[in-house]
Amino acid sequence: MEAGQRRSALEVGIEGEPAYVGAEAILYVVDWFGDKAIAKYRPPKPYRHKVIDEDLRTRRTIVEAKALHTARSIGVPAPELYFVDPISKIIVMEYIEGVKLADIIESNPLKAREYAKTLGVYAARMHSNELAHGDLTTSNVLVTSNGQLFIIDFGLSSLKASERDKAIDLHLFIRSLESTHPEHVEVMVEAFLEGYSTILGRSEADKLMGIVREIRLMGRYHEERRRK
Amino acid sequence: MVNVDTPSSYGNPRFHPSKLYPSLSWDREAYVLGIESTAHTFGVGIASTKSPYILVSARSTYRPEKGGIHPREAAEHHVKMAPTVIREALKHAGLSIRDIDAVAVALGPGLGPALRVGATIARGLASYFSKPLVPVNHAVAHIEIARFYTGQRDPLVLYVSGGNTMVAAFAKKRYRVFGETIDIALGNLLDTFAREVGLAPPYIVEGLHVVDRCASEADDPVVLPYTVKGMDVSYSGLLTAAIRAWRRSKDNKDKARICLGLRESAYGTAVEVTERGLAHTRKREVLLTGGVAASPVLQEKLREMAKLHDAIFGVSPLSLAGDNGAMIAWVGLLNYLSNIIIEPIKAVVKQRWRLDSVEVPWR
Repeated sequence: MEAGQRRSALEVGIEGEPAYVGAEAILYVVDWFGDKAIAKYRPPKPYRHKVIDEDLRTRRTIVEAKALHTARSIGVPAPELYFVDPISKIIVMEYIEGVKLADIIESNPLKAREYAKTLGVYAARMHSNELAHGDLTTSNVLVTSNGQLFIIDFGLSSLKASERDKAIDLHLFIRSLESTHPEHVEVMVEAFLEGYSTILGRSEADKLMGIVREIRLMGRYHEERRRK
Repeated sequence: MVNVDTPSSYGNPRFHPSKLYPSLSWDREAYVLGIESTAHTFGVGIASTKSPYILVSARSTYRPEKGGIHPREAAEHHVKMAPTVIREALKHAGLSIRDIDAVAVALGPGLGPALRVGATIARGLASYFSKPLVPVNHAVAHIEIARFYTGQRDPLVLYVSGGNTMVAAFAKKRYRVFGETIDIALGNLLDTFAREVGLAPPYIVEGLHVVDRCASEADDPVVLPYTVKGMDVSYSGLLTAAIRAWRRSKDNKDKARICLGLRESAYGTAVEVTERGLAHTRKREVLLTGGVAASPVLQEKLREMAKLHDAIFGVSPLSLAGDNGAMIAWVGLLNYLSNIIIEPIKAVVKQRWRLDSVEVPWR
């Protein structure tokens, strides 16, 4: 471990058992000057060439920090950014106590529908500020006990999002529903678009859905393409 | 040329099939002949309820002299080779067509003209010899043959071939697609690049893809687009950037660095989305299947990824990883034992028959 890395790790106190081991990052619950916080560390991956791995982890750490900041500044609830160190690939952010939207869909579909609408509002706010989340699944939306939504995990975001990047947000939201809650896709997507429309208008929502359909037909074996 | 594989090349399945398919009856002796013709391979395999389960896998592959697969030429190849491949399969299994209980065929997904050859032959055999006809989804077959041979019970699957790149796992009666390519497939990326820059054909030399071979000459990759969107990958930007870099390259050293950059981005993103799928689904097994599964580099990367999550890594036996008739025969047998049969008149090809639209009753 390099000197800079060690100092930074000590500062944020990432020692001991991680709270969560994800695919890309390891999360630790830490104390940040008296506040409960999350330290997110992106470890190197042995399956990637080290040049590419280093480049990627640095870029994603910076992008996530910038996107967290942007999201909050445009009225999209996201954890507050406390600290970022691209050299050690660590971000420290506000701890959000909540459950994943994915875990509510089956047990409370009516509430989930409402949340999907709110998520549509937040997505539209991001998109009108050239921010695309890049991994907008039902697992990356947290719901707090008072019903407030938080969007997390901005590591794959685009800060200068194209129309296609924005459409991919919706595509990934639909995909996460299809793969785990296939019977709720239609209702949830309709609610999302309803929320999206309140910010950007129905025509933008329809345009977004149009690009999603194109993406879903591209290069993939799909029943719908035949009907086109 | 017909290539014939027997248990001596693909080994034995890990467990007795009753372990993975307890709902089916394995007491009765049954033989299913399976026909594969979704793309460049015309393959015929024979599966049985009794050991060695996969009796034979015979195939003939259309290899274009230049360029990629031309669907009509692939179909012509299949028409020309079909009788020989079927005869070779039966001969090596020591069976006559009269010993066969059912005929199975891959009705999709794939190239229309190529698919129609297999479908026509299967309908003909079933009608003429009065055998039940069994429809099989090609993607389900790739997954199931790998699962049978590795003995994996409930894996997260990375299925990579010339036409498909997807991360799938079983949930609620179907293989659900968690991630896939949003443009071109991994195999298509490697082949198109190799062809465009003059490295291919042939695409495979001494068992290695020419891009893997070229990459092994370099240590330091050119950093090329690495695009992951959620659990999806995108390869079209990578392809364009790699070709452009190649055209600007000065010497062979540069070229090898581009191959390495391409390989690392291509395999790296595929392994990363698999890792994301694994973290998301919390499965304990990772299964690699499809034609690109033959890449030792990809296998190694996936094995390392699985180790990070204490998951068990498995890969399809290599002679059954690419397109083949044995996997169609195997799923044909599972479907036949589950009474999934189709009237020949209704057995039409489905070029875009999605994996997640198929109900799997035997799991």
